[in-house]
Amino acid sequence: MKMIRAIVRPEKAEEVVGALAEAGFVALTKIDVVGRGKQKGIEVEGIRYDELPKTMLLLVAREENVDEIVDIIMENARTGRFGDGRIFISPVEESYTIRTGQRGL
Amino acid sequence: MKEIYAVIRINKMQATKKALEAAGFPAMTAYTYRVMGRGKQMGLRPDELSFPETSKEKIKEILAKEGKHAMRYVPKRLLYLVVEDADVNKVVDTIIKTNQSGHHGDGRIFVCPVQETIQIRTGERITETKPN
Repeated sequence: MKMIRAIVRPEKAEEVVGALAEAGFVALTKIDVVGRGKQKGIEVEGIRYDELPKTMLLLVAREENVDEIVDIIMENARTGRFGDGRIFISPVEESYTIRTGQRGL
Repeated sequence: MKEIYAVIRINKMQATKKALEAAGFPAMTAYTYRVMGRGKQMGLRPDELSFPETSKEKIKEILAKEGKHAMRYVPKRLLYLVVEDADVNKVVDTIIKTNQSGHHGDGRIFVCPVQETIQIRTGERITETKPN
């Protein structure tokens, strides 16, 4: 299993979530975060904003689905400008459903 | 070391903290106030509160009805803590025991590997070369 953390533009988050749902990946967690990238934020009329609001989508998927999910996120979150965000993929060893106490996704 | 992520109901936060403390794990990190989450049920719907597995047809059906009356996300708390490998089962059991109501929406637990921990105050590093 892999944990996919995608930091996307807040206004693009629902598009991404909708596209993921259509492909069958409905379960996820959505978190409001602030962040900055290599551009050190954004400068507007002499004032630098270095904590830009973003939405983090956190989902855990089976390894064989990771590429598909990443493609969907990239396709729907991309505007081609700086600040489109990033996707991080990290390993997950175990997953439990609290309702049943069972292991596995 | 392992990092344990738990997505739980908001009203279970205090109980979970108390239970973890009683089990000997007082240290943890949580997201402020709440995160928004959903599982296989795609949020909360008054017409059908729970169904076992989401098939592609089901998703299509739900998406077509979307906007009528549905909560697309449910507020949850997300907490995580880093523990020794040997303690993972104890922590997972504690969280499950405290949060299990038997209804959909109880949440999920993820266990992820952690390579290194550094205490900022002392600069002490705890590294683990071998997994498990």
